[in-house]
Amino acid sequence: MERRQFLRYGAMVGAAFAAPRINPDFLFSSARAADMRPLTFLSAENITGNWDPTSHTTLSQSNIEGFVMGFLTRAPMRPENPDEVIYELATSIREIDAHHLEIKLREGVTFHDGKPFTAEDVKATFDYGAQPDRPKQVYPGPTGSFEITTPDDYTVIVDTSKGGYGASLFIFLASYLPILSAKDVAEGPKGALTQRLNGTGPFRFVEQRGNDTVMEAFPGYFKGAPKIAGVTFSFVGDATTRMLSLMNGQADVIERLEPEQVETLEKEKSIKLSRLVSVENKYLWFRCSKPPFNDPRLRKAAAHAIDRDMIMEVMGSAGHASSNFISPIKFGYVDLPNYPKYDPDECQRLLAEAGFPGGKGLPELEYITSTGFYPKTKEYGEVIAAMLQEQGFPVTLNVMEVAAWNERLYDRPGGGPGHMVDCGWSTGSPEPDLVLRTHFHSSSKRICGIEDPEIDAALDAERNAPSLEARKESLQTNLMPMLADKVPALSLFTSVLIHGMRADVQDLFIYPDGLSDASKTTLG
Amino acid sequence: MPILRFLVRRLFQGAIIVFLVSALIFTLLRIVPGDPVRLMAGGMAPEALIEQIATEMGLRDPIYEQFGRYVGGVLQGDLGQSFVRPANGAAVGGASFDDSTRSERAKVLDLIAQTAPKTIQLALLAMVFALIIAVPIGVWGGLNPGRLPDRLALYLSSLLVSLPNFWLGIVLALLLSVKLNLLPAIGYKGFAYTILPAFVLALEIAPFIIRNLSVSVAGVMGQNFIDIARVRGLTRNQIVFRHAMKNSAVPLLNLLGVQFSMLLGGVLVIEFIFDYPGLGLLTINAVMQRDFPLIQGIAVVTAAAFVLINIVVDLLATTIDPRLDY
Repeated sequence: MERRQFLRYGAMVGAAFAAPRINPDFLFSSARAADMRPLTFLSAENITGNWDPTSHTTLSQSNIEGFVMGFLTRAPMRPENPDEVIYELATSIREIDAHHLEIKLREGVTFHDGKPFTAEDVKATFDYGAQPDRPKQVYPGPTGSFEITTPDDYTVIVDTSKGGYGASLFIFLASYLPILSAKDVAEGPKGALTQRLNGTGPFRFVEQRGNDTVMEAFPGYFKGAPKIAGVTFSFVGDATTRMLSLMNGQADVIERLEPEQVETLEKEKSIKLSRLVSVENKYLWFRCSKPPFNDPRLRKAAAHAIDRDMIMEVMGSAGHASSNFISPIKFGYVDLPNYPKYDPDECQRLLAEAGFPGGKGLPELEYITSTGFYPKTKEYGEVIAAMLQEQGFPVTLNVMEVAAWNERLYDRPGGGPGHMVDCGWSTGSPEPDLVLRTHFHSSSKRICGIEDPEIDAALDAERNAPSLEARKESLQTNLMPMLADKVPALSLFTSVLIHGMRADVQDLFIYPDGLSDASKTTLG
Repeated sequence: MPILRFLVRRLFQGAIIVFLVSALIFTLLRIVPGDPVRLMAGGMAPEALIEQIATEMGLRDPIYEQFGRYVGGVLQGDLGQSFVRPANGAAVGGASFDDSTRSERAKVLDLIAQTAPKTIQLALLAMVFALIIAVPIGVWGGLNPGRLPDRLALYLSSLLVSLPNFWLGIVLALLLSVKLNLLPAIGYKGFAYTILPAFVLALEIAPFIIRNLSVSVAGVMGQNFIDIARVRGLTRNQIVFRHAMKNSAVPLLNLLGVQFSMLLGGVLVIEFIFDYPGLGLLTINAVMQRDFPLIQGIAVVTAAAFVLINIVVDLLATTIDPRLDY
């Protein structure tokens, strides 16, 4: 065979291979067909790849669950009415006594796979989700510390007397926990629960197509079939790309806008913005389980070195000033009088008292932050590092891409990496313990790694309070002031969730944790 | 047969190149900071568990042992499984360490097979656009050396080569997609989504083709056989299209081969900006997630493609110019 023949035969084989792959209408199949198109939502964060809602604390995946799953109640948590509760799968929740709660359920609701929703699903969800090995640890105690009984198909009794804490803790959790199907739970690990979402919400999970989560309207939704064909929820890593998609009409909704993007989009007539004080506070977490921040005086000194007004200037419209460890829209929030304020003199006094006058003798400190997910982390990180250096803390700011930061985020035996870490915490319920107990109790201590019997006792005391009023008092007069005094972390501000959406997107309700209700949404 | 000897020799050389690239990437990935097991197992996993998983996966064995196992797999067509991506191919974050419900991981070969055709489509279209832009300008410049067309070709190439592609991508998306509403820009739902990123890539590679063509056409036009062709009474068009262009094609072909290979690896920024689901975006996500098997797989496939493209280019060059030896 000579070379020309070889090339000719090679080209023929190539053409034969490629021919079946050509889509003849690819050139003119419209990319812009708008009829009955689904709502396209672009997310800033990727998902986990495991559809079990109890397997993660990833916000983007929770957002997807918000479209597909049903909840006993929903909490809109608007600042003007933070305690409002809307009953969904539950029709009433009643405290029988301090340790007993009665939940009445809605009849005639079905899961997307056709299974009728009954009390066994609520029992299965609670019993499974509270197991100690579930990664999303949000229950007040493990499965053995409470008992769920179902006197009939539409009544659930929660009994917390074994755990010794108030049953009222389940009231706030009711708006946070997606209700699973008992059938899915019974299949166990590697069963249907991990492979797809199955809920009672307005949209049915269809498939994961690369980075697109495809959902379609569920005609049997108990509040009436949605008006849009479905929702496509996509992970797009780059903030500029997300903004361009919104501007050219390829995306209907985008999340986590940077303040500069807000300025650009405000000038666009075809775009509207949604700003919400969120349930998320941003924190500077101290590694309390290793020197030097195992000394509360040094943590406090660092907190007094930071002028939070300067941080608010950097954040602009993406931040909301707050002086507590939880968001102002959570149960029990109060502006704490003893919350650490910018006070260089007090900072120097505490440094000297701890044996490091003017910061002399302190080891090199690493402050870890991320870039690409939360707005402005690098910018205000530089401000914080400069303010700490001004008071004598030898701080180096380490800005990492999200995956590397995520790898270093949590506490480990002997203390996590670095000495300070930037991170936010967002939980879609008024329940304050989803932040406070999760982070500051010795049994959990996710990031700061603090082990302090006094804080443990204060956390147990507010959890075990006999009524909501008593609990609020315990939170505001005991636990929260104690945390402000021991500063295991410094809450810097409350995030403002900014979504951009096309002007023709009507009636999309966004919750303060970023979940959305598109059951009544219309396009155009 | 000379062709077989040529193919065997070049494929053998190519295999050595791919082997060396794999060894280099494999070693580098294991000495840079960032423990993939920590990402797989989740931030809260205790050190002991991290070590246990890493040992079970063989990640604490000496690098040459790990590499030996990897090469063994590659020879059997097995590029391994992604550390983090599930079988549906979604980009994912870390899950928790003791979660027994983690879904099955995707095969590296499947992930590459899903994304590579889109990148090849992008690269081919970019090459077509680049030729459409560069050939007339380059040939015109080459036919008029030192005069206005040549200077214009030089200025235009200098301008295009100085524009950063991420900036150009954003500006063109803003102009053509947002303002004029002519083309979709983000993601991929059909062929139309390839046009804008391909155009940006084309503007990036066109300057090299323009310069190459102007110089080689000018060189060919100064040779004796062109003067003789005029004496033979051939028209200018016949001289340019049948003689000058053909003789300028060999250096251009070599350049195109290199450029095409560069395109396959150089689409990272463009695919990220346009959220174009090809090999480039897959690579960026794999790097950010410390997904070692996926990074290695992409490196091996890209290196192999580079080798094959160069073999094809050499074959084509000998077809155009029979004086060239295998």
